[in-house]
Amino acid sequence: MIQKNIRRFASEVLEEWANVLDRDSKPLPPHVVREMGRLNIWGIQAPAQYGGAGLDTVGYSIVIEEISRVSAAVGLGVSVHNSVCLAPLLKFGTPEQVERFVPDLASGKKIGGFTVTEPQAGSDAASIQSTAVSDGDHYILNGQKTFVTNGGIGDVFLTAATVDTRKKAKGLALFIVEKSMDGFEVGKIEDMMGMRGNMVSELFFNNVRVPRENVLGSTEDGFRISMQTLDMGRIGIAAQALGIGTAAFEAAARYAMERKQFDRPVGTFQAVSFKLADMKTHLDAARLLIYRAANLKDRSLPYSAESAMCKLYASTTAMQACMEALQIFGGYGYVKDLPVERFFRDAKITEIYEGTSEIMKIIIGNEIIKQFGRL
Amino acid sequence: MLSILVCIKQVPDTQKAVFDPRTGVIDRSGTENIMNPDDLHALEMALSLKDEYGASVTAITMGPPQAADVLNEAHALGVDRCVLVSDQRFAGSDSLVTSKVLSRAIVKLGAYDIIVTGREAIDGNTAHVGFQLSEFLQIPLLAQIHKFKINKDSAIIERLYGHEYQKIQVRLPVLIVVGKHANRVRIPRLADIKTCTDKKIIVMTMNDIGGTEEEYGAAGSPTVVIETEIFSHKRGKEILSGDMNEIIDILVHRLKKHNILRY
Repeated sequence: MIQKNIRRFASEVLEEWANVLDRDSKPLPPHVVREMGRLNIWGIQAPAQYGGAGLDTVGYSIVIEEISRVSAAVGLGVSVHNSVCLAPLLKFGTPEQVERFVPDLASGKKIGGFTVTEPQAGSDAASIQSTAVSDGDHYILNGQKTFVTNGGIGDVFLTAATVDTRKKAKGLALFIVEKSMDGFEVGKIEDMMGMRGNMVSELFFNNVRVPRENVLGSTEDGFRISMQTLDMGRIGIAAQALGIGTAAFEAAARYAMERKQFDRPVGTFQAVSFKLADMKTHLDAARLLIYRAANLKDRSLPYSAESAMCKLYASTTAMQACMEALQIFGGYGYVKDLPVERFFRDAKITEIYEGTSEIMKIIIGNEIIKQFGRL
Repeated sequence: MLSILVCIKQVPDTQKAVFDPRTGVIDRSGTENIMNPDDLHALEMALSLKDEYGASVTAITMGPPQAADVLNEAHALGVDRCVLVSDQRFAGSDSLVTSKVLSRAIVKLGAYDIIVTGREAIDGNTAHVGFQLSEFLQIPLLAQIHKFKINKDSAIIERLYGHEYQKIQVRLPVLIVVGKHANRVRIPRLADIKTCTDKKIIVMTMNDIGGTEEEYGAAGSPTVVIETEIFSHKRGKEILSGDMNEIIDILVHRLKKHNILRY
């Protein structure tokens, strides 16, 4: 029922915006954001008492896949808001922080983000340069963040900064920073290849005074919370990649049955049907990897490696599916009149953000070393 | 407060259904069941009346135990109470017996102001039940509804009737039949989807609604299906030739004959 209804929302409401957001690089209009709030899309896993839907992670993955199947940019915004802003607030926040921030985020009245990446700190998250200096009841935040999903429209950002540069990872803390705070500034909105409907931006913190009660967890917890948060976020990105790949596959399959060359649908040529068979098989496998990671998380079992595996596999699959779909569409896949070229551009980033494919392999590799080293 | 009852039905998704070419009957084993599409619009009509005037909305269905799925969906959409009328002895009922069962269950459920049904079910396409139900319950029926307003103990209804637009006032209780053009069905909230299966469904059997076994099921059904054919839709092409005025006359005549032009 979740899939059927979110699919309906995506096709009846989102679809008409998907190309516009991409073409004009602009965010969803407020009335659509509000409607998504009514449907609990901004609070997929938040408990009902805070205005969320209280779904499990499998349900969450289905929602993200279905939205991304129509608009990956919207899927990205929803995924990041839910899984790397709301989820860590709910998991690591104090009761006061939850009461203060969750209801507005779960209803979509406020949009959330999560910022670790800096010009010099990408995969090496522990080398963050942003600083937070204790000053009585506050911390004074200074620094710059890049590639912040929802940056241009967000209201609440979980922001990583170092309270002690000598301690590297152990010196990192996460702060709940609000757009309304003095010294908070949105920088350049990135002119991106894909995901153009998400206002990914730079953020600047110039002597932002963040109250002590806005520290998430303890001041030594930032790195640990960030890494756990990214485990969750990766399921969302995997679901997003799956949505893009599925959209590309479905478009290609439909086209292959309609497009005739040499007096028969091109899909009946083995060269094309084998491509479609591969796409479908890999997409279904990716879906099962995602559900496995989601199910482990829902049962409170370790899922770090499984989350990395589903993200690695789903993003590679999405990219491959988009390449093959474009090939099946031929010249029509290369023009902006049809959405396949958008799927292609949107898919690429899923191999990069929330940890690159290479970082995923490190996580999976470390897990293997841990497991087999014990034997 | 208004009491509204909505009759809904679980049907095989005939758009995806596989038909046995020999018997012309749907192969139900591999066909997904869904809520009958018109019934979603009937629910939406009831729920928008609830939003506007305040009402208690009950969804009722007759069917096997798995028909509870459509009642769960009705709960997710915002219905207050769901009733499953289910009994082995009802198996094989035609539309007349279905209407009889529903009417008796409705009477047992107590007073009501409005009953809403969908126009027709996509598995049988008889469009009988609404009409037969109004006969059994002896209440007025109006079909092809677009707008429905309440004014004290009456309803003011706007509807398209053929090529006419009618505005009718009718005293409650009334039965209305709505089709897919009546409204746009709301999308349920995720929170309501999550909790819909936790909500209670009232089950009624033959013992609850009364009557004897002979009145129900195949035994009580006068309808006999003689033959089923798979419907095929063919487009025809015809080029009219001759004098232009004659062609126009022929064309106008044909359009009138098919009720496309009326005046």
